[in-house]
Amino acid sequence: MKVNNHSKVAATVIILLCVLFSVPVYSQKAPKLSDPEVASVAVTANQIDVDFAEIAKERSKNADILQFAETMSNDHKAVIAQAVALVTKLKVTPKDNAVSQKLQADAKKTMKMLRSKSGNAFNKAYIDNEVVYHKAVIADVENLLIPESDNAELKALLQNVVPTLKTHLEHAIMVQTKISK
Amino acid sequence: MPGHFNILKNVIYCFCFMFFIAGCKPSPEKEQEPKKAANKTYTVEIKGMKFQPAELAVRKGDTVVWVNKDIVAHDVTEEPGKAWSSSTLATGQSWSLIVTQSANYYCSIHVVMKGKLTME
Repeated sequence: MKVNNHSKVAATVIILLCVLFSVPVYSQKAPKLSDPEVASVAVTANQIDVDFAEIAKERSKNADILQFAETMSNDHKAVIAQAVALVTKLKVTPKDNAVSQKLQADAKKTMKMLRSKSGNAFNKAYIDNEVVYHKAVIADVENLLIPESDNAELKALLQNVVPTLKTHLEHAIMVQTKISK
Repeated sequence: MPGHFNILKNVIYCFCFMFFIAGCKPSPEKEQEPKKAANKTYTVEIKGMKFQPAELAVRKGDTVVWVNKDIVAHDVTEEPGKAWSSSTLATGQSWSLIVTQSANYYCSIHVVMKGKLTME
């Protein structure tokens, strides 16, 4: 009976730990970010998806993947250009921080994984990652970057980016479904 | 004789007046012709990754103007056959079409963005 109780407690603890660690990292303990740090995270997150797209354009021959990658490259470059224009206007210099460093470290691993694949395996890995990445970035923009922005124009830019990210996610899921058939 | 001449003159005046009135009166065909509505111009804004309004009721000959007010480039392309398409519209650019038939359209850059023109 005692053993059973211990087993139940242990199982509950394991389940709780699993739940805690499955929640996106930034919502567990939202780091405090200044506007220069928010700008750095925003630019880094966009640049990472441009880099993923460049790998796709090098390695894929699938028309849907190539079209999606071209859209990601152009859209995220457009967002970066607007972010840079805004920080220049506000005389703010993006400041590197733990969140942007974590994004870069994770992206480095993903790029290594993508470069190790070819053909359909690459197409699947690329589009699967785009679905996961856009979900994570949408959560971070909505739950971390927008709440942490003090400047109204920076906050407005981030709010305007959300529909673009959600459309990218919808597009990625569509391509993912088509490729898996 | 002058009296007869005056009567003849008055008769001619009467005929001339009657012909003038008849000429001014619209013919039965013209009366039955339906009044043609003036063509209209409608604006569709591309904003927040959506065509707004996404569905538009128009008449043949109306003009639809699409204006890109979004933060990224878009286009307007007939689907499924790509019978007509704008070129890429950067932020702030617009493109117009004179409608000749109902059509479904989409953004070929962001393929999940869709719109519809319905002929009334």
